[in-house]
Amino acid sequence: MTSAAFLAVSDVIVGYGGNTVLDRLSLSIERGEFVALLGSSGCGKTTLLRTIAGFNRPQSGSLTLAGRDITLAAPDKRNMAMVFQSYALWPHMTVAQNIGYGLKLARKPRHEIDARVEEIAGMLGLAGLEDRKPAALSGGQRQRVALGRALAVEPDVLLLDEPLSNLDARVRLNVRHEIRALQKRLGITAIHVTHDREEAMVMADRIVILDKGMIAQQGAPHEVFNRPMSPFVAAFMGAENIVDLAGVVEGNRVEIVEGPSNRRAMIGLDGRRLSSGRVEARFRPEAAELVPASATAASDRNGAESRDEDALTLLGTVEQTSYPGGCWRHVVAVGAAKVAVDAPTAIEPGTPVTLRVPAAALFLFDAPGRGAEPVPRLVAA
Amino acid sequence: MRERTIGLLLAVPAIATIALLYMMPLLASVTGAFETEAGFGLDNFIKARDLYTTDILYTLLIVSASTLIIAAFSVAIAGYLTLGENPKAVAILRWLYRWPLFIPFIVVGQVLRTFLAKNGLMNNLLVAGGILTPMQTMSFLDWRGIVIAFVWKQTPFVTLLLAGAMASIDRATIEAARNLGASRLRILFEIVVPQVRTTLFVGMVLSFVTMMSVLSVPLMISAQSPTMITADIAFRINAYGDYGVANALGMISLIMTMAVAIFYLSHNLKEKAR
Repeated sequence: MTSAAFLAVSDVIVGYGGNTVLDRLSLSIERGEFVALLGSSGCGKTTLLRTIAGFNRPQSGSLTLAGRDITLAAPDKRNMAMVFQSYALWPHMTVAQNIGYGLKLARKPRHEIDARVEEIAGMLGLAGLEDRKPAALSGGQRQRVALGRALAVEPDVLLLDEPLSNLDARVRLNVRHEIRALQKRLGITAIHVTHDREEAMVMADRIVILDKGMIAQQGAPHEVFNRPMSPFVAAFMGAENIVDLAGVVEGNRVEIVEGPSNRRAMIGLDGRRLSSGRVEARFRPEAAELVPASATAASDRNGAESRDEDALTLLGTVEQTSYPGGCWRHVVAVGAAKVAVDAPTAIEPGTPVTLRVPAAALFLFDAPGRGAEPVPRLVAA
Repeated sequence: MRERTIGLLLAVPAIATIALLYMMPLLASVTGAFETEAGFGLDNFIKARDLYTTDILYTLLIVSASTLIIAAFSVAIAGYLTLGENPKAVAILRWLYRWPLFIPFIVVGQVLRTFLAKNGLMNNLLVAGGILTPMQTMSFLDWRGIVIAFVWKQTPFVTLLLAGAMASIDRATIEAARNLGASRLRILFEIVVPQVRTTLFVGMVLSFVTMMSVLSVPLMISAQSPTMITADIAFRINAYGDYGVANALGMISLIMTMAVAIFYLSHNLKEKAR
């Protein structure tokens, strides 16, 4: 954590009653950065946003904005503006009054407010709707009024609390890009809370994944997606398929020991933090290549003794297929585990298959709850 | 068609009850207002005007003033319950403010009579505290006493309605205003009250009608002239057996409450049309 960060959250503890929601959390955000706080409900992401906004007071720790300590500053003394999940538009005010209220509070002259409201309304495609009440607007328009109200006061930091979750799916896709483009154009610092992985990926410069009040991992979208540091992050990033394996770490590689439903494989460690013993392998449905076992039998005969390099091969049986669109999804039984795998063509249920997961898309972790004793077979090997 | 007949038949007992117990007496009272010894006429109204014009205006002023003060107090109390930041103060206020709801008007009148009289508890306390001398004390047992009694009794009722309505508005609308720098007072008047104005209005109309019908408070606090219409009606009947003028006065207070009700309904329609 650098002290030069624009917004710095340091060792913050926040709790309700006896319940600790944020546990010594630290986060630093650069000026102009778009950061997504991603996590499932109850992980503390909204609490963190509200703490940054000043609606929650930390029990300990500190917050600084541009070098100024704002830990105890009132919400309106932080020059941050929040867009609420419910939009929180004032139903008795028109669009123009909603957008201009912050400026009215700042005692700006009337003509200046009018000009700014017109500018914001134009920028957000709300021109012509200024005299309407929120009840007479569509969901997308309300969302833009909420955004306009926040932007009108030219905040240093824009706080977005799941602002897209009340929009229907098609509008949401457009608004994602609109908000991102606007944020880039205005060069504003934005913190966006969401539970939608894809939304975080397409909008943010940096994703911060929260779990139980702590940061599980943070980084650029492609880093977090391709290099999850824990089973939790891997699962959150869509790698929900789990297979239990046994592995032996040798130098910068791990050898996956042949098992009843997997072949032997050598995988480069490539930064993975792994030790010998039971290994939890995770991968995404689209990461595996699905081939009927009969098709691979021929090529196997040549190199039955050889091992797979930088890919893991699993053996299973197709149990079920469905077509969610784009490709066929197969549920494949691999030993006791059931995994979901996508393939361009459907393979009949009951067909024995092999799954090939390339190393780059294979996430390996020490199996949770494994004791100190190594797997006996590995010792023999 | 048959179903409709059955439906009507099922509603008959309810309609009959309303007709017999509510509409009939009301109509009897209305026609009674026009009955004189010389047949139907406006004599009762003329007499009511000659004798009670001051009391009618007095009633209107007391009830209107009380309604406005009740509105102000209930906005203040409900506003503090909603926006107050000291949890202990909010809890104490929430516990305290409802008590007058459970005290009958007659008891309120009696309590305030002993409290507000020239040598009542209030003046005794003020004198004992050295704030007033015994010579400076005065009785509040006039229109002021009636207003105090009404406000004391009706504020909790309107506050109850208002606090409920305020509790159900989206908290985020309050936070959004705080986020942009609105003070609590501005939030109350520019964000919260506009969102609950219909409820406030209902509470005011209901309080107005309730106060128009209270007899015990004017009788207990200030029954001498001028007094309120309710006291006059009781007096006409108890002292003279003069049902005609009593009915005429009843009609006049009915017209006053109807005016408020119509004002409320038209306001409501306008709100819905928007």
